[in-house]
Amino acid sequence: MHTGAVSVSSVTRRFKQVVAVDGLSFEVQPGEIFGLLGPNGAGKTTTVHLIVGMLRRDEGRVSVLGADPETQPRQVRKRIGYVSQETNVYLDLNAVDNLWHHAALYCQDLDPVRERMEELLQLMNLWERRKDAVRTFSGGMKRRLVLARALLHDPEVILFDEPTLGVDVQGRHVLWEHIRAQRALGKTLMVCTNNMTEADTLCDRLVILDHGRAIAMDSPENLKAALGRDIVTLRTTPAIDDPEALFGGLGVQTISRPEADQLRLEVRDAESIVGELVSRVAAGHRLEAVRIARPTLDDVFLHHTGRALRE
Amino acid sequence: MDRFRLLVLSEFRLFRTAIPIHVVAILQPTVMYVLMAVILVQPTFDMEVDRPTTPEGWALVRAMEEVGSPIGDPYIQPVLVNWDGGPVSRQVVVVEAKRDRPVAVQVYGLIDSNLVKNFRNRLTAAALRLWNSELGDRAVLVEEHPWLPRDVPYKVYFGMALLPLSAFVAAAFTGSILMAQEFELQTILEYRLSPVAVSLILGARLTRLVLSALIAVVILILVIGLVTGFWPRAVGSVLLILLPVAVIAGCMGVLAGLLFRRSIPAFLVGLVSGFAGWVLGSGFGLAAGFGQAYQWVSRLTPFAHATELLFPYYFGASIGRPLFSALFLATLSLALLALTALAYRRRVTAEV
Repeated sequence: MHTGAVSVSSVTRRFKQVVAVDGLSFEVQPGEIFGLLGPNGAGKTTTVHLIVGMLRRDEGRVSVLGADPETQPRQVRKRIGYVSQETNVYLDLNAVDNLWHHAALYCQDLDPVRERMEELLQLMNLWERRKDAVRTFSGGMKRRLVLARALLHDPEVILFDEPTLGVDVQGRHVLWEHIRAQRALGKTLMVCTNNMTEADTLCDRLVILDHGRAIAMDSPENLKAALGRDIVTLRTTPAIDDPEALFGGLGVQTISRPEADQLRLEVRDAESIVGELVSRVAAGHRLEAVRIARPTLDDVFLHHTGRALRE
Repeated sequence: MDRFRLLVLSEFRLFRTAIPIHVVAILQPTVMYVLMAVILVQPTFDMEVDRPTTPEGWALVRAMEEVGSPIGDPYIQPVLVNWDGGPVSRQVVVVEAKRDRPVAVQVYGLIDSNLVKNFRNRLTAAALRLWNSELGDRAVLVEEHPWLPRDVPYKVYFGMALLPLSAFVAAAFTGSILMAQEFELQTILEYRLSPVAVSLILGARLTRLVLSALIAVVILILVIGLVTGFWPRAVGSVLLILLPVAVIAGCMGVLAGLLFRRSIPAFLVGLVSGFAGWVLGSGFGLAAGFGQAYQWVSRLTPFAHATELLFPYYFGASIGRPLFSALFLATLSLALLALTALAYRRRVTAEV
């Protein structure tokens, strides 16, 4: 018996020889923002399509608010909202007409639509422009309209596929605020993204996907903390030839060389060794830059896969 | 507001997504009719005649004025000119004496064989009339007995035959564009995930297409009436006859959009199938007036059946087999409705 708003259990989906989703399991709790983080081709969109019932699974079980999207599609679709990667609106219609179109296709109760429409357009800061053709909107405004549209039928679960793709930084923050506001209203939200900042900032919990498999799942803070290390990046002239020898005895766990003159060290507690580390470097090299950072989700991905998320 | 009405309204709002196409779809056959009726289809030909210098020449001119169709339209309007032997734009008739007898010489300009035939036949009719007037009891008389008490004016027939095309074009063009652009704008996703029944969604779209088609038909009926003075006996019956044509066309448009997923190919398929079907289906004249092969092919199109069903409402007499034609249109409509619903499920709601 699943208690989650969305439950994915040992789900596999193949496209001919390619396994897009491979034995994936996770559960999204009501009222949380759950992220699917991974590089392009990791299986995020396929997973979302399996959840909304656009794709059939080869193995496993999916449940959305207690219903199976494959066998009870209408029951699921009444209660979910889906914001796709594409800004799929009628550009020559105005915002209100786009929403009416959605209402005709989704809203169970048509009576309160007009009030709900006004409320959402006000909320998304689109009310003043409601009668303008959407073609004249900025990218951020169009995304806000897509979000308003997805919320129009008051869904309990909302799935976002790359919600801020192509949106400028300012617009991105506005959208994040709107998504958080929906969580405050008790909605369950799933966000597919390959943007680490988005996942880090927005998600309560997330699953990191690679080649269709879950490689880690927890809150962003816990995932980073689980690495148990800090990252020290050094840039020197000339480059350090034998870093293992130079930093011996300092408790450096991993050394990699992202650039010819750069070293990336993973250490348990950077603050306690940074003084000694700098003195050893300065003895034979000119230290151009030193940076100490807490691990990012990229580091988490790197730790689990040996590749950077952005590669 | 009930959902079906909201869906239909929403479909009409999509008019703004491709205004020129929607306007063309509704008005194109009417424009075609006006061009044909006002400019191209004229029962009376202006025929230039070099100003005669002999009594025989003037007698031929009078005979030309008297020749006409059973319906009463004169065939020839002689236009007297002073021809200097220079280039001729269409044709000129010169009555001159050759071998001691008057000969009407017809000199042609840059016209095609069809027009040459028309000019020649009309002048021959005038010559026959003149010849008969000289023969007295020995005259060869030709009596024309049209099938109907009043012969069918081509302008009216042509307009009536355009009515099914008008319904077809409005529904097929609009249907193909509306469907294809859903894929182009990726708004098809809205339909894919909708919890509303496919029958309701598709029903609303087809209703909108059929209504557009009927609007186009009403406009053309008005224009035909204003140009010719001919009005159908019962507009409601005309619309009822054209209803299945609109359904067939709407389904074909939606199918083209689903199949090609791009506006231009879908539009072109609608265009070619519409006009080819219309030409084959009695567009330029009843199938009975053409050869056996044409008649056979014609019966495969909805146009021939619709035209035959419309005939009594314009000319007061039934032609063909009305019951068979009605059954053909109804069956084809139902078959295409089923096929469209199947294609919609396959291309929209089923897994990609």
